[in-house]
Amino acid sequence: MKRGMLFADILASLIHDMKNSLWLVINTLEACTSNPRPGSDPDKIFTLQQEAKRLNTNLIELLTLYKIENERISPNIEELNVADFLDELILENRAAAQAQGITLNCECDQTLNGYFDEGLIRGVVNSLIGNGMRYTADNLLVSAANQEGYLTIRVEDDGVGFPQEMLAAQDAIDNHVAIAEGRTQLGIYFASMVARMHRNKDREGYIRLTNGHRLKGGCFSICLP
Amino acid sequence: MPITGGMTPRKRKRFSNSGLRMTSFNFTRHEIESKIFLVVDDFGDMRGMLRSMLSSIGVGEIDTAINGREAIEALERKRYDVILCDYNLGPGKNGQNVLEEARHRQLIGLDAVFVMITAENTREMVMGAVEYEPDSYLTKPFSKDLLKSRLEKLVIKRQDLHEVETAVSAQEFESALRMLDEKIAAKPKNLAELTKQKAEILYRAGEYEQAGDVYEGVLAVREMPWARLGLGKVFYATDRMQEAAAVFDGLLQENERLTAAYDWLARSLQALDRGREAQDVLLRAVALSPKAILRQKALGELAMQNGDNKVAEEAFTQAVKLGRNSVYKAPGLYTNLARAKSRCGDGAAGLKIIENMEKEFKGADASQLHAATARGVIHQNMGDPAEAGVWMWQAAELYESMGPQVTADLTLEMARSYGELGELDNAQAMLRQAVKNNHADQELLRKVEGLVGELDLGMDAKNFVSDIRREIVKLNNRGVAMAKAGQLHEAVALFSEAVAAMPGNKVVNLNAARVMIMDMHERGVERGRLGQVRELLERVRKLDPEGPALRRVQTMYQELVKRA
Repeated sequence: MKRGMLFADILASLIHDMKNSLWLVINTLEACTSNPRPGSDPDKIFTLQQEAKRLNTNLIELLTLYKIENERISPNIEELNVADFLDELILENRAAAQAQGITLNCECDQTLNGYFDEGLIRGVVNSLIGNGMRYTADNLLVSAANQEGYLTIRVEDDGVGFPQEMLAAQDAIDNHVAIAEGRTQLGIYFASMVARMHRNKDREGYIRLTNGHRLKGGCFSICLP
Repeated sequence: MPITGGMTPRKRKRFSNSGLRMTSFNFTRHEIESKIFLVVDDFGDMRGMLRSMLSSIGVGEIDTAINGREAIEALERKRYDVILCDYNLGPGKNGQNVLEEARHRQLIGLDAVFVMITAENTREMVMGAVEYEPDSYLTKPFSKDLLKSRLEKLVIKRQDLHEVETAVSAQEFESALRMLDEKIAAKPKNLAELTKQKAEILYRAGEYEQAGDVYEGVLAVREMPWARLGLGKVFYATDRMQEAAAVFDGLLQENERLTAAYDWLARSLQALDRGREAQDVLLRAVALSPKAILRQKALGELAMQNGDNKVAEEAFTQAVKLGRNSVYKAPGLYTNLARAKSRCGDGAAGLKIIENMEKEFKGADASQLHAATARGVIHQNMGDPAEAGVWMWQAAELYESMGPQVTADLTLEMARSYGELGELDNAQAMLRQAVKNNHADQELLRKVEGLVGELDLGMDAKNFVSDIRREIVKLNNRGVAMAKAGQLHEAVALFSEAVAAMPGNKVVNLNAARVMIMDMHERGVERGRLGQVRELLERVRKLDPEGPALRRVQTMYQELVKRA
């Protein structure tokens, strides 16, 4: 036990250090794009920036998952204004969306409040938006609403949607069974773990994958009691 | 050249076509560009980056500090509106230390915004803090857009609550509550936050029943840890210890990282005479958040009472170490460490610690009294009763000369020393004095009961305390009854005598002031008397600046002066 905790601390410090480096990289690149030198290639710089951000999201997921697995984390549930929360996420991602010519919309009642752990859900939605940008054609919609007593946050795109086998296998997600390959797998697993950490009385949070909800592509919902 | 804008014109055009819905706030009245910023980070790259982010947002006045000490110096020199402070600042003070000192010493205004920048691995450590919390945490990395949006919201929030906070800090709870109720009636977005604040103010004002109602109301809708914790505190304050302990225990079953619940569970258990269990509870909390100095102090005191000297030694070692960077550094932490060392058989180390303490506090009265009291016991433990006697004699002299300035904790320290030296009469006299001066302070009375047991004074702890208490309550009631019956002159005489006997008792001092004011309302204002009232109020303010009763008598006094 003692040794495990020590390892977690080292892991956390290392990740912290890596994130600091990434932050410097991301911001230095941003400085490059705002004062372009002759001969520099803005597209390449943009790619670098995007990859650095993905690396950062992955690191957060990795660390959070490690903490969940080792029970070093309990959700800090607060009552939050959902519109404010989503606005910040849109701000974080708007430059990236623009640069790729993706329309990023947000729909949320300004008075909607929800109960959740801000840091954890921020990680999930950020990762969903990042993922959505890779699979969408040119449109991404983030929305939130109260549905049957669950705060439901959706990220949907107008790409080709989730493959049938993923939709079919999603009930297994909650049973920790790997359902897809590579990057997506970690993201879905992460989202499902975080959702399940949100409990209210005897209900617990869950995720849902569908196609063609409002846009024609994939729609990822995280539902919190 | 500062970095300006984030986009080239071509991209901006694309952006405006993107249909992105902007936030619906209107920030024009709360421009952050005109705010004065302090950025604290030990890494030059980070400071540079934060500075350029802020300049690109349009902020003009930005100062930087490279460590906690520099940050405090900057805050002493200049009033800042927004402080962006990294939690990790290398050796010396960390971000939490800076926040505590800034708020505790009022180096920043009530409308100033303090943002703590944390990394993934420090967030939980910071959350374990006892007293002050920052306005917001920001986790690295963040973009300048997010920074701007967050800062704007925080500035608005501070401004929105500025009047309420000002009223609270002046103990004008009633008007603070009135203002809050008006805001709540408008059903704003931050309703939950306002409700929480309302309950906290009610609690501070001593309106426990009403505070409890607010918490119950929140819990009826949904289980929220902060409301459950608040309800537990209401149980504790109204002497329903079993229920309080059950609430805090339940909270920890749900979330073992909720550090505040440990503190309150330990207090409740102590009140239930379950000191050993209370110590175990605090040990668990300290393992989770080893940097909270007040919690280490509480653990040390509890362990001393339980006679668990090893644990006390470790806790006070940590407290002294943390004190180096903290506004909570105090002589009592050092002398308690010295006592614990002495009890563990290392008196020489104890004496050395006291010497160092005296140097650090440069001979302030309270530190000298702490030192003399502790030296008495240590020399006794080292087998030199003659030397011990000399120190205790000096302590008694100092105690006499300091009068009502002696804190309750210091009085208890002296009692402990006398007790350990076998001077049981003196120990008892000190404890009696402590009760007399603080007969309404439940927490302190419990400490006295604990000491009676620890020192083996051969009497029933609860009876000892309640007998003295009953006497004072009776005396107070008699005086109040006299005043009500219009015998103001007699009431003044009675309370004047009582004040002379127990100069450190808040209630007696306030009652004396109250009847003197009432008397002057009847017979006209008298200059000398007015001075006396001021003195009494000032004494109470020094003893307990927080008390709502003080505020009420101060208002009475101001009305009298206005009328005169």
